[in-house]
Amino acid sequence: MKIDNSLPLEYSTEENRLKILGFWIFLGAEIMLFGTLFASYFTLVDRTAGGPNGMHLFEIGPVLIETFLLLASSFTIGLGIHAMRLGRRKAMMTFFGITLLLGLGFLSVEIYDFIMYVHEGATIQTSAFTSILFTTLGTHGAHVTLGLFWGLFIILQVKKRGLTPETANKSFIFSLYWHFLDVVWIFIFSFIYLKGMM
Amino acid sequence: MKELFPAKQVMGFVFSLVLTIVALLVYYLDMSFTAGMTVLLITAFIQAGLQLVVFMHAGETEDRGAIYTNIYYGLFVALVTIFGTLLCMIWGYI
Repeated sequence: MKIDNSLPLEYSTEENRLKILGFWIFLGAEIMLFGTLFASYFTLVDRTAGGPNGMHLFEIGPVLIETFLLLASSFTIGLGIHAMRLGRRKAMMTFFGITLLLGLGFLSVEIYDFIMYVHEGATIQTSAFTSILFTTLGTHGAHVTLGLFWGLFIILQVKKRGLTPETANKSFIFSLYWHFLDVVWIFIFSFIYLKGMM
Repeated sequence: MKELFPAKQVMGFVFSLVLTIVALLVYYLDMSFTAGMTVLLITAFIQAGLQLVVFMHAGETEDRGAIYTNIYYGLFVALVTIFGTLLCMIWGYI
C-alpha cells in the first residue's frame, strides 16, 4: 500500500481516493432519486381529495427547528472532519457525537410532526398529496435514521482503532453522506414547506 | 481551541443561516407566487452549492473534474425529470 503523505489521511492511498470518488457517484444517483420524488410531489400536490392541503397542515415552528438542527449538524460534522485532518481524534469524536445528537433531535421533531399530521386526519392513505408528502419526507427521514447508526459505528471504530487511513476514509465518506442529507433538506424546506405555506 | 473553528467553515455556516432567513421572507412577507419561487430557487441552489464546495470539499483533489461532472449529470437528470413531468402532467404540453 503506497501512502502519499502530502494528502489528508482519507485520500492517502489510491484505494481511498477511488472510494471517495465512488461515493460521489452514489450521491449523483441519490440526486436523481430525490428528483423523481420531487417530480411526483409537484404533480400530486393539489390532489388533496377533500383532505387537508399543505397550507392547512404545515406549521412553521417545527419546520424551522428541524432546519436549524440539520444545518447545525452539517456544520459540526464539517468541523469534525477539520479536526480529523489536524489529527485531533478527541475533538473529532466530540464533533461527530454532537452531529449525531443534532440528527437525533431532527428526527424526533420530524416524528412529532408526522404524529401531528396523522392527528389532523392526514395519513399516508388520505389523498395523493399526503401519500407523496409522507413518501418524500419519509425517504429523507429514513436516510437520516440510517446515518445515525452509520455515524455511531464510525465513532466506535475510530475509538477502537484510532485514526488510520482506513478509518479516516470511512469518516470522510460518512461526512459526505451527512452533508448531502442537509442539501436534500434545503430543497424539502424550500419547495415543500415554504412553497406550501406561501 | 481556535484552530478547531476554521474561518471558512464558520463563514459558510453563517452564510447558510442568512440564506435560510432570506428564504423565510417568502413566508413572512406577502409575495406573488413568481417572486416567491424566484427567491426560493436562488437561495436553495446557492445553499446547495455552498455545502458542496465549503463542507464537502468537492474541488479538493485531482478527481474534481470527475466529481463535478458526475454532480452536474445527476442534477441534469433530476431537473429533466422534474420539468419534464411538470410539462406534461401540469402545464399540459403533450
